[in-house]
Amino acid sequence: MTKQISSSTKNESMHKKNVISRSNQRPFLWLLPLLSFLFLFFLLPCIDVIRTSFTNASMTSTDYKYTLNSYIRVFQDPSFLNVLWITLFFVAVSVVFQFVFGFAIALAVDHGEKKNMYGTVLTRTISLISWAIPGVAIGIIWKLLYSESQSGILNYLLTSMGFHSIAFLTNPFLALIFMTLANVWRGTAQSMILLYAGLKTVSIEVIEASDVDGAGPFRKILSIIVPSMKSVIMINILLNIINTFNTFDMIMSLTGGGPGRSTEVLVLSSYRTIFQQLDLGKGSAIAVVLLVINIVFASLYIRANREEN
Amino acid sequence: MYMSVKRKSVLTKISLYLFYIFVSVFFLFPLLWTLSLSFKTIPELYRIPPSILPDSFAFDNYKYVIFQVNLLSGVWNSIKITLGTIIGTLAITIPAAYCFSRMKFRFSKPLQFIILMFQMISPLVVVVPLYRYFSMLNLLNSHTGLICIYIATSAPFQVWFLKSFIDTIPKELDEAAVIDGCSRPQTVVKIILPVIAPGIFSAVLLIFILSWSQFIIPYILIDTPSKMPIATMLVNLQSTLSQITTHYLASASIVAILPTIILFVFLQKYIVAALTAGAVKG
Repeated sequence: MTKQISSSTKNESMHKKNVISRSNQRPFLWLLPLLSFLFLFFLLPCIDVIRTSFTNASMTSTDYKYTLNSYIRVFQDPSFLNVLWITLFFVAVSVVFQFVFGFAIALAVDHGEKKNMYGTVLTRTISLISWAIPGVAIGIIWKLLYSESQSGILNYLLTSMGFHSIAFLTNPFLALIFMTLANVWRGTAQSMILLYAGLKTVSIEVIEASDVDGAGPFRKILSIIVPSMKSVIMINILLNIINTFNTFDMIMSLTGGGPGRSTEVLVLSSYRTIFQQLDLGKGSAIAVVLLVINIVFASLYIRANREEN
Repeated sequence: MYMSVKRKSVLTKISLYLFYIFVSVFFLFPLLWTLSLSFKTIPELYRIPPSILPDSFAFDNYKYVIFQVNLLSGVWNSIKITLGTIIGTLAITIPAAYCFSRMKFRFSKPLQFIILMFQMISPLVVVVPLYRYFSMLNLLNSHTGLICIYIATSAPFQVWFLKSFIDTIPKELDEAAVIDGCSRPQTVVKIILPVIAPGIFSAVLLIFILSWSQFIIPYILIDTPSKMPIATMLVNLQSTLSQITTHYLASASIVAILPTIILFVFLQKYIVAALTAGAVKG
């Protein structure tokens, strides 16, 4: 088929382009494998979660009827408000520190490279390693650090420096804070790498012009570098928000949502409701809340991406 | 004037070096502590104050987790699942990336953005119904089922990434091949693939690391220990081991993270290229 078309057009160079770009393309065929995978393993399940959220289904029986009861129970549950607040704290604090710390490392490495300093490649590599570590292992590693027994390393270092020991994971509020710290350790790499790549695109003329103006380093960062990297910064922050929102692995092995429910974020709450309380209807309603938040931030991300390209 | 400028630059350098040291300690210390724990014996675990280094670097703990706990089966399962995901993802994303890059049709752009959106959806949302379908189809504890979901979760980003590579090839190159009688599939294999080989290599590394780290999907879909990938095996180990066996947990964690860390450290150039694609103008 293709061969026929191309041989018949061989002598008609005028029409070559049109023939090629129109007649022998079947975009749907090329997309079919991808679209069927996405349909079966993504779209269909998403629709099914939405459907299930409007039922009173449970994991133990196959009978159910349609009702709004799941949503009413979710939003009337005072502990759900708490889950939202924990999620918000976890996401907001993580993302702020991941951004500030990641930007600081990117600036420091970039500046060091311009001055031909030693150790820039090493620092860059070390700051990125955490990206390649499975989240589950990160949770376990930090749990080992936070050990509150007398042989726990962080508490040993604190007490030997004259501080009190800390109930890292047994105090409800501290557990949330130290879980967030572990997540900063995990997610800074993502910020660092995007912002570092973004810095390389800031034109040297712009920076040199500010040197002539005699701008101080902080003014230079705020009024020259940040504005020229605006869209990379937006994309970076949105990606970190989405990643932190969807964090499950690290929390599972670090706190498991505890103590009590003090580190139970949205994903964990949905998981527990479905697989521990076996309340499929309510758990699906929480999953739909998660899905809506995902879609909102995904749309913002796509808009930021569109502006960039 | 000259002195003060010079002194200022020396001060800047010193503070930058201090910052580098701080960054290195912050990111390496947790890993080094785990490494140290992984070589310790039980009396050393309970020593007060804790010693920074283990007394000896014997591999007894590693032998224990590899042979007694059978961690190797987790590693092997992860390798199988990861390879399946890499092959499957490339098989469905290369044609799609080529299509989005080379063919003009209605809804091409919106479709691309919808596909990208899938990447942002928490796997939990999709895995709940899939758990029910899979238990009806007897696909729980099956690696094939798992690989299919991994492919669907890694495909959206890879389509974008590979498309950005194909976009950099001048159209004339493959159109000339079509005119010379190549079919489009032949063009992709003979012309496009060799040119985007570095991009495919980046994609392979990225899929490898992300599949290796997958947790929530196998955690829900697999409960037979012999079928578990390394990530869920670790959590399983964590819940069955007691405080007294911290050293085993530490060595199991080191085994789990070593493959991806080694890949990252030695091939970071390719991984960074993939991570920054799209967000940063070339």
